[in-house]
Order: sequence, then structure tokens, then C-alpha cells
Amino acid sequence: MPTTRADVRPDLVVDFDIYDPALTMPVDRMQERTAELAKVGPIVWSPAYAGHWLVTAYDEVHEILRDPATFSSYPNNLVDAGQGKFLPIELDPPEHTSYRQALQPLFNPTRMRALEPRIRELVVELIEKFQGAGKVEFVEQFAHELPTTVFLALMGWPLEDAPMFTEATEIAMNGKPGDTPEQAVASRTEAAMQMFGYFMQVIHARRAAAEAGEELDDITTAVMHTRIKDAEGVERDLTDDELARMFFLLLIAGLHTVQGTLCWMMLHLSTNTDQRDAVIADADAIPAAVEEVLRYEAQVAMGRRAVRDVEIGGVTIKADDQLLLLLCSANRDDSQFADPQSLRVDRTPNRHLSFGSGPHRCIGSHLARVELRIAMEEIHKRIPDYRSDPEDPAVVLPSQVRGFARLPLLFTPVTPS
Amino acid sequence: MDRYLTVDRGACAGHGLCYGAAPEIVDCDDQGDPIILVEPVPEALLGQAEHVVDICPERALALQESLQASPSA
Ligand code: HEM
Ligand code: SF4
Repeated sequence: MPTTRADVRPDLVVDFDIYDPALTMPVDRMQERTAELAKVGPIVWSPAYAGHWLVTAYDEVHEILRDPATFSSYPNNLVDAGQGKFLPIELDPPEHTSYRQALQPLFNPTRMRALEPRIRELVVELIEKFQGAGKVEFVEQFAHELPTTVFLALMGWPLEDAPMFTEATEIAMNGKPGDTPEQAVASRTEAAMQMFGYFMQVIHARRAAAEAGEELDDITTAVMHTRIKDAEGVERDLTDDELARMFFLLLIAGLHTVQGTLCWMMLHLSTNTDQRDAVIADADAIPAAVEEVLRYEAQVAMGRRAVRDVEIGGVTIKADDQLLLLLCSANRDDSQFADPQSLRVDRTPNRHLSFGSGPHRCIGSHLARVELRIAMEEIHKRIPDYRSDPEDPAVVLPSQVRGFARLPLLFTPVTPS
Repeated sequence: MDRYLTVDRGACAGHGLCYGAAPEIVDCDDQGDPIILVEPVPEALLGQAEHVVDICPERALALQESLQASPSA
């Protein structure tokens, strides 16, 4: 029998729903709210979504991420919108392993470093488009454009399709603005189906091209050639359905996350100007500064499900209980980080969990780091005095991947050279 | 005395901070797992080696006097 509210010590029951818009609107209070939960305990209970455990402390989050035999990755979402599993994020080892090994080389550090010149060109081009204006809606003109363009080039998908799947992905994750909870489930499912339809078209077009001898050299082709080992150890091709689930995950995992971190970089460095000065003064400080921005605002809260009864963090978790791991509060756990509420760009060591840990640790981290580092370098060379627009505040959305809808910024205009 | 940088493969999660921070000492393979380039670590690079031991999020790296696996591994 999974845990019900009656089984939980009353002082550990909290009122928290990660999808509640009031958490981030009108002002983002996610960190404040999760810090309160962390004070209640390393693992607390929310009655939302038929009940789930919220893991707030660094050690417990780390332990759970590294123990897939006890904590399954399926389901990873509290609200099912995928109509089945996302691959490979909702598979457990050993099944997960061969998918992982197929994907990892495509995004490995050496390949991602080789993209640096192209990414830099794109970053400069994007900044030059708005640097003369003295203001910018940073999400639309930069934070969204950069990861989307880089990702589409890697995948070999048409740039014109971006607006369609940006919208569909957003709805698939968060529902439509103003949806009731029931409507949100329906909108999310519908948007997910639209995306699957799109991927099926991509797959069919690719197969037709391959037959005509016109195969492209990109990640889509590489993924389509992936051979995986099934549970019996037999090698086989991926089915179209599996391919679509993998592409959808790459899209969800790779765009919104980089977008959010870019926005937090701007928001927090603009209010911690001494930290920003350190970045402006010394470009060598940037890699560590990127890690600190990542630590300061972990946006992901992944789900896990206990496969057996287990004692952890002072509570008994029962088989089939759902857990939500709050990376944002783990990353501000003072048993792991000195002065965790301060942004310190030279923090070292910085063992943040923003990319997760264990077998599902983010495959795209090397790509994300290159994008974030180059953006930080070029922005601080060009428009170093940016600040948020007091008349037009940022809009942050909650959910298991928290992110920005808008971030209007002001700065001293610079004539493009 | 010679010092060796070792990776506990069970603990390493491929965060890549080590080879990002000290490419002269650690490279990575196709899967993004670390490869130690220098055995033993030359005197001049010991400071860097200590630094990567320090930054590894999984505490998977160690500086040891031999290549024997550490007792905890
Ligand atoms: C700042 C940017 C990013 C952050 C914070 C981030 C965060 C994460 C986290 C926390 C996980 C683990 C989820 C879990 O354990 O359930 C993960 C997995 C994953 N990420 Fe990222 N990510 C980022 C960028 C990217 C990019 C750019 C890509 C794609 C190119 C990507 C692709 C993936 C994939 C495929 C997985 C699943 C890995 C698996 O299941 O083995 N991510 N990411
Ligand atoms: S920093 Fe640690 S966990 Fe990351 S790749 Fe290096 S040894 Fe592995």
C-alpha cells in the first residue's frame, strides 16, 4: 500500500504544488517557498496529485538520484502529458544503458567544443540586433533564439518550424495560460500529440531521403541509426514511436533549460553588481560564474517512484510512492554550500546538482555549458550595464522545469561596430 | 614520491568538470567519461590535480601514491 496522508506525521504535511502559478506569479517565490519546505524536513509530504514526497535536502536528493534500483525514473512527471514514456529519461538501468550510450557520443564534450566558433558567431549576431536599442525583451530576442537555433542546426530540422513547436512544447509542459487544472491536462495532452505528429513526419521524410540516397549528416540521422539492446540483450533498431519519444525529450530537455539559465544569469548578475564586475574584469572567471548561476537557480524538479519500501531522511517511503526532487532547494542546502543564499561567482568547489546525478545526469550539459559561457562572455563585452525594466517585470512560469516567459531588460545603447 | 590521479568509475557521473578545468591532466572519451592523461602526475601539475579532486561533484577523483584502487572503491 502506498503512503496516504493519514500515514504521514502531521508536521511533515505541507501545502505545495509545483505547478501552482502563484509560486512564480506575479513574483517568483519558488526559492523562498522551497526553503521553507527544507526547514520542515529533508523529505516532506504534499497531498497534491494523489500525494507525493518532496525531497529538499542535498544528501537525500543525491542519494536518490544515484540509486535507480530503489527509485525508478518512471514516471518522471507528476502530470502525464507524454502518453507513455519519454526516452531515455523514464527508463531505468539496465534498459536505460544502451540508449544512453547511443546518445552520449552525439553530445560529448569534444563535439560540443567544436561548435564554439559557430555558437559565438550566432551569439554576436543576436546581440548586435538589439544592442543599439538600449532595451530588449531578452527571452524572445536572445534566450530563446540561441538554444533553439543551435539545437535545430544540430538536429537538422527547419528553422521555420520553431514557432510551432515552441508553442506546442510550452503547452505540453505548462498547459495554456488561464487553464483550469482539468483543462491544463487536456491542453497538455493535445500539444504532446501534435508534437508526436510532427516527429513522425520528420522520421518519414528522413527515411524517404535515405532511400533516395540523400541522407543528411546530423544528430537526427545518428539517432535513427541507433541500435539498442532490449531486455533480453538482443540488438535491434529503434521503432518510430521510440524515435519520436527521444526527439521530443531532446527538445524539451535542451531548449527551455538553457533559456531559463540565460535569463537567471541576467537577472541575478544585474542585481549583484559586484559579482558582475568580477565577470566583466576577468573573462577567466566566467566558467566558474556559469556554474554558480546554474547552482543558484536549479530549474528542474524531477520525479522518481520508489519500487520498494525504504527508510530515508527520517521517513518511511513505501513501494509505489511518488517523489519530487527539488534541486533548487538542494542547491541551497547549507550543509553542502557555505552561505548558499549568496551568489558568489568564484565559488569552489561547487558541487551543484542542476544537471542531476547518477545514470540520467544531463547528456546536454556540455552543450549547455558552451552556450552559457559564450553568451556570458559576449554579453559582458557588449552591454555590461543591463538591468531589468522596473516598468515591465520578468514573467516566470512554475512547473517541473521552471522558466521564463518574459525578461525585459534596459541597458546603455551601443552602436554595432 | 609519485602521485597518481585515480577515478572511481562507480562514483563518477560524467559531470566533466575535471576535464573542463584541467585539460592537461584529464581528457574524456567518446562517452564523456574521464581519461587520466598523466601517470604519475608531474610535479608542476600537482596543484591542478588537487584542484580537480576538490571540484568533482561525486568525489570520484583521488590523488594516491599508487594506482591501486582505494579501499573505498
Ligand atoms: C542549463 C541547461 C540544462 C539543465 C539545467 C538540464 C538539466 C537536466 C537534468 C536535471 C537532467 C536529469 C533528469 C533526471 O534525472 O530525471 C537532465 C537530463 C537530460 N538532459 Fe538536460 N539540462 C540542460 C540542458 C540540456 C541540453 C542542451 C540537452 C540536449 C541537447 C539536454 C538533454 C538531456 C537529456 C537527453 C537528458 C536525459 C538523460 C537520461 O535520461 O539519461 N539537456 N537534464
Ligand atoms: S568531475 Fe568527477 S564526476 Fe565529473 S567526470 Fe570528472 S571524475 Fe567524473
